[in-house]
Amino acid sequence: MFQQPEIMRMAQAMASHAAQRQNEVAQNIANADTPGYAARDLAPFAETYAAANGMELRQTRPGHLGAGDSPGAGMIPRSDPGTRAPNGNSVSLEGEMVKAVEVKRQHDLALTLYKTSLGVLRTSLGRS
Amino acid sequence: MSDFSNALALSASGMQAQAMRLRHVSENIANTDTPGYHRKTAPFEEQVEGGRRTGLVTLGAVDLDRSELAQIYDPGHPMADENGYHDGSNVDLVVEIADAREAQRSYEANLRMFDQARQMSASLLDLLRR
Repeated sequence: MFQQPEIMRMAQAMASHAAQRQNEVAQNIANADTPGYAARDLAPFAETYAAANGMELRQTRPGHLGAGDSPGAGMIPRSDPGTRAPNGNSVSLEGEMVKAVEVKRQHDLALTLYKTSLGVLRTSLGRS
Repeated sequence: MSDFSNALALSASGMQAQAMRLRHVSENIANTDTPGYHRKTAPFEEQVEGGRRTGLVTLGAVDLDRSELAQIYDPGHPMADENGYHDGSNVDLVVEIADAREAQRSYEANLRMFDQARQMSASLLDLLRR
C-alpha cells in the first residue's frame, strides 16, 4: 500500500548519483597535481538508471559477487586526449569545473522534483 | 550522506596538501640568500591504506634539489675560497613564484569543491524542514 511513487524513486536515484559524482570530481581535483593519477568519472545518470531497471546483476544472497551496489560500480577511467600532463596526470581543472556545475544542477533538479512530488502527495491527503 | 562526507574529506586533504606545498615554497624563498641551501621539494602522493587507494592526497617525504649551487663572487665573505667565490643556494625565485601561484589555484579549486559539497548536503537536509 505504501509504495514509493516511481518519480520519487527516480529523484532519489538521481540525487544519489549526483552525490557519487561529486565525490569523483572532488577526488580528481584533490589529485590535480599527483603524478601518474588518472582522472575518473561516473557513467551518466540516464545510462545507469536505464541499466538499473532490469539489466543489472542481482544479489539474491549476501555472498554473491558482482552486484551493482558495490562501491565503484559504473566507474570509468576518463582521459581527454591532449590533457595528459608530462608527469602522467590526466586531470583537467576546467573540465572538472564544468562537471562540478553539472553535478550541482542535477542534484538541485532531483531535490526539487522530490520536494514537488512530496507536495503533490501532501495535497492529495488534504493537507496544505 | 556518506558520499558527501567522503567528498568533504577529499577536498580537505587536497587543501592540506596544497597548504603544505605553499609552506615549502615559502621556506625556499626565505632561504634564497642562505649560503649552501638546497631547495626543498615534496611530491604529491595518493594515500594508500591497507593496500587500497583511498583517493586522499598527501604530501610525500621532503627531498632536496641536488642541482648545482650558485657560485657567488664575494672575496670579502668569510666562506669565500681562494678565488673569492662561495656557495649560494640553488633556489630559483621564478620557479618558486610559479609554484606558489599553482598551489594557490589548486587550493581555490579544492575550496570551491568543499563549498559545493557543503551546499548540496545543506539543501538535502532542507528537505527535512517544514
